[in-house]
Amino acid sequence: MFESIRASKNILGMNARNLTYIRPHNLKKSKRLADNKIRSKHMLKKAGVPVPRLIAQISSRRTLESFDWNILPPSFVIKPNKGLGGDGIIVIYGRKRGTDDVWIKSNGKTITLNDLKIHIGHILDGEYSLSNTPDIAFFEERLKLSKEFRPYAYKGIPDIRIIIYNKVPVMAMLRLPTKESGGKANLQQGGIGVGIDMARGTTTTAVQGKSKIIEYVPDTRLLLSGIKIPYWNEILTLAIKAQDASGLGFLGADIAIDRDDGPVFLELNARPGLSIQVANMAGLKRRLERVEGLKIKSAIRGASVGKNLFGGEIEEEVEGMSGKRVIGAVEDIQIIGKNDVKITTQAKVDTGAHSTSIDNELARMLGFGHVIDTFGKINLSQYDITPKNEADIKKDIITKYKKSIPDLDDVAIVFASSGSSVRPVIKIKFIMDNRTIIAQVNIIDRSDMKYDIIIGKKNLSRFLVDVSK
Amino acid sequence: MDNISPLIQFFLNQGLNLDTIILLLLFPVVATIVVILRQIVGIKAFGIYTPSIITLAFVFIAKDNFWDIKYAIAIYAIVLFVGMAMRYVLKKLRLLYLPRVAINLTVVSFSVLFTLVLAGYFGRTGFASTAIFPILVIIMLVEKFVTVQIEKGNRTAIILAIETLVIALIGYTVLSPTTPIGEYTIGFTLAHPVALLLIIPINIFIGKWTGLRLNEYFRFHDVINKIK
Repeated sequence: MFESIRASKNILGMNARNLTYIRPHNLKKSKRLADNKIRSKHMLKKAGVPVPRLIAQISSRRTLESFDWNILPPSFVIKPNKGLGGDGIIVIYGRKRGTDDVWIKSNGKTITLNDLKIHIGHILDGEYSLSNTPDIAFFEERLKLSKEFRPYAYKGIPDIRIIIYNKVPVMAMLRLPTKESGGKANLQQGGIGVGIDMARGTTTTAVQGKSKIIEYVPDTRLLLSGIKIPYWNEILTLAIKAQDASGLGFLGADIAIDRDDGPVFLELNARPGLSIQVANMAGLKRRLERVEGLKIKSAIRGASVGKNLFGGEIEEEVEGMSGKRVIGAVEDIQIIGKNDVKITTQAKVDTGAHSTSIDNELARMLGFGHVIDTFGKINLSQYDITPKNEADIKKDIITKYKKSIPDLDDVAIVFASSGSSVRPVIKIKFIMDNRTIIAQVNIIDRSDMKYDIIIGKKNLSRFLVDVSK
Repeated sequence: MDNISPLIQFFLNQGLNLDTIILLLLFPVVATIVVILRQIVGIKAFGIYTPSIITLAFVFIAKDNFWDIKYAIAIYAIVLFVGMAMRYVLKKLRLLYLPRVAINLTVVSFSVLFTLVLAGYFGRTGFASTAIFPILVIIMLVEKFVTVQIEKGNRTAIILAIETLVIALIGYTVLSPTTPIGEYTIGFTLAHPVALLLIIPINIFIGKWTGLRLNEYFRFHDVINKIK
């Protein structure tokens, strides 16, 4: 109970959003700009932020009647200039074959020229505008779905919402259109919001609608976490630039990724919603407080401050500090043997072992069969295997057999309570967690063991081991 | 009404109607109730004007008999139901916004009239003789409802309508002379009208309050659990 109350201090509620952030930081002038899509478009373009191309605009019934419909490209979007929450938008995919006044909408249904005119009439009357004041309708180019998002989006374009405060990106989410949301990426209408790790630009947790926690894209087995957002750094700097240009101190920036043009700025939002906190499973309030009063000189600087402050897990920080990768007790590795034979297997990371050992069978598959065969024929009983003689025995074997076993890199003598053993050592290459390691490994019969390779201390100097992983 | 402040007595001596004085004094109280429910509890409803005026309409309709509130609720339900159904019928006609709302209001008015006549026919004279101005106030809800329906969809409009009803009923309970709490509120107001000035500091406090609303504890329940 007590903890809950303390934890709730991290959350940004409606009252604090309006009073502490929107009121003092989003002045009327900037809010009016954000509510006017055509003006925002011109302003952003001037500031060097890419926006969807404006094709034409209709501001009165007279221009609607005399409008030349042939200037429109095959596919386009109609929007109300002062629309709210994605209402009144019609997305046209193309003309219906063999007609010149019937179009196909994004939901597959057709719409006639007459219907379009009526819809635009409604927009002009202010049916979709804030407080129903007369409005302007405009046409803009239709964005194309980028291939990265194709499996995740239902009939629409996903976008990325970023909260920017004081030129620092504070929290971000990927918004996916769903069947329920009718192809719109709006959470209130049943879209999906997926939290994004600020530092890496990969998705984390997800929410559908206002508060339903989900793991998969509905009706599929597609995991929502771990989606890598392309152009992440570019997206962050675009959002910061847009904040700077718009004068909105507390901004919800909506950015989409076009198949051909990359990141495109969609919309300025002067009153961003709060569900982004559920999507990220994190509170906005504490984050906003941490950014308060920082002096940020450039967009690039702002992006890196946001990434450092709000970038996900400790793991990344540890790696950043030590320059070492964090690995688990068992890791998937790829071993490269003779003649470029590649074998992928699971390795046990054993900080209790000094060196790396590999099983007979695995060594054979890697092309070291003759080492095992020839080494096996050596009469080891001639040696008195004690720690004192170790160096002499090694030297003796290597000089005697170097010629007949060219792959013999060294000899290892392992003293154990169960009995000591002399093992051949070969040189292999393996890749673990994206790092390539050249290692001397000894060969032994591990057929009774669960893992056919253990990696010892000698080859772990570039890693930190997290046993809970 | 055994304990009336000299101030109120003075008002009465100037020829003011007691009902007028009570309603004018209670209107700020209604508004403050709406404010508390909105900013602290998180019940949204249709802004502040609509729930306030509907609350007073409810208080007025049931000012003599507590259970007359059922007539008020019935009229509220009919207005919303017909208003919502009409939107679907009118959508097909593709009309401009204002003429469409006018037709909607016409049909809603006729429906209420028809209901009252029907009630009278079946001997429900209490219902049939409901005062007209509160009814008109409830009918004007249609425009608000249709606007929200267009802008935010059916679901939101229905939720807001229900929330407005809840606020009106809470307000009714606190203010109507036919409920024990209301009796006390009115008695207190008439005895100490100056105490109503407290409403201003209360609203200043709420106006500066940045804590979470009660419903936000539920909305962010999972996040709060995750953070702790």
